[in-house]
Amino acid sequence: MTEEYDVEFVETGDRKARFLVRGVTPAFANGLRRAMVADVPTMAIDEVRFIENSSVMFDEQLALRLGLVPLTTPPEGEFVDGDTVTLSIDVEGPGTAYSGDLVSSDSLVQPAEDNVPIIDLKDDQRLEAEADALIERGKDHAKHQGGVAVGYRHLQRVEVEGDLPEFEDERSQIVRGVIEDDGELVPTSEFDDDLSNRYPGKEVSVEDVPNAFVFHVETDGSFTVDELVTRAVESLEARATELEEAVQL
Amino acid sequence: MMVPVRCFTCGNVVAEHWEEFDERANDGDEDPEAVLDELGVERYCCRRMLVSHRDLVDVVSPYQ
Amino acid sequence: MELRVTERTETELSIEIGGEDHTFMNVLKGTLLEHEDIAAATYDVNPEQSGGQTEPILTIKTEPGVDPIDALEEGAGNIRDKTTAFRNAFEAAV
Repeated sequence: MTEEYDVEFVETGDRKARFLVRGVTPAFANGLRRAMVADVPTMAIDEVRFIENSSVMFDEQLALRLGLVPLTTPPEGEFVDGDTVTLSIDVEGPGTAYSGDLVSSDSLVQPAEDNVPIIDLKDDQRLEAEADALIERGKDHAKHQGGVAVGYRHLQRVEVEGDLPEFEDERSQIVRGVIEDDGELVPTSEFDDDLSNRYPGKEVSVEDVPNAFVFHVETDGSFTVDELVTRAVESLEARATELEEAVQL
Repeated sequence: MMVPVRCFTCGNVVAEHWEEFDERANDGDEDPEAVLDELGVERYCCRRMLVSHRDLVDVVSPYQ
Repeated sequence: MELRVTERTETELSIEIGGEDHTFMNVLKGTLLEHEDIAAATYDVNPEQSGGQTEPILTIKTEPGVDPIDALEEGAGNIRDKTTAFRNAFEAAV
């Protein structure tokens, strides 16, 4: 069986992208989406040892905040399930402890964002802690979820049916996503999501294009969009391979 | 107390924008809508995280 | 992934696929249904009704003369074709 897929980017970016995929079944599109959200492992702090915490928040609260800070995820193969990286933080008040104050023992695993405030420290308050980050999937805890707001919509084909009847009032027709107009891809934000802005005085019809999906993918900074998508596909592929081999026995 | 690190609904990291948002929209007189647009906080789930937040560290600290 | 055959006849197979959820099972089911030797394919993840059963069970019926195990193996291979094709298309577009 030969599969014909066609991918076209509508919006490109490191952390946010939109792309159109033609030829995929709804089942495959959804499998891909679910894999991006729950099955691509990322690094996140999981255990914190407090040496000193005289701030106004409890140890557990700070541990949660530290866990939610996105960390850059090392290239595949560098780490396996169960490996840990130690990060330490030592900040004395007055001042704010930021995620950027975390010092990592591994240059591949760094806070992806330096400006996340962890805790405000007053005079004589101090936060000193050591944390272990480990690599897990979004299934286990949302802090390991690399994909943010991952979703897809059908590509919609818009066709002009003719002119509006002479005395009919123009009514707004709201569409969201990406439309296809004579083979040209147009994000609906270009005409304020309203078809009557793009085709004034015209009667238009909108229909879903079968097996064409526009994916919207954002990441929390753990890796780029390309990497997230590639890793999600690989995770599906790995499972298919495993099943194939297990069945052969 | 402190700003939530991520949006409760979608998981986007929003805390990094808090200080600038607080300075410009709460302490300053800029329009919060415009500030959020500029910061790139797009979805309304993420926007409410910043709009509805109140820092309480200063309020609690005397009772430590 | 742990496999356990729960029922098997010449053209029918029920197999428990441990550790998987809708992410993989639905892709698998969808792909199996595209296979011409497969008459029916479905999966069930029903925690309560089956007395605490949480692992998905895949059920396949094949056309006469086709071993469901072979069909399942081909189905898994077809998923690999899809993922490879997708990855190539995606990398070409980046």
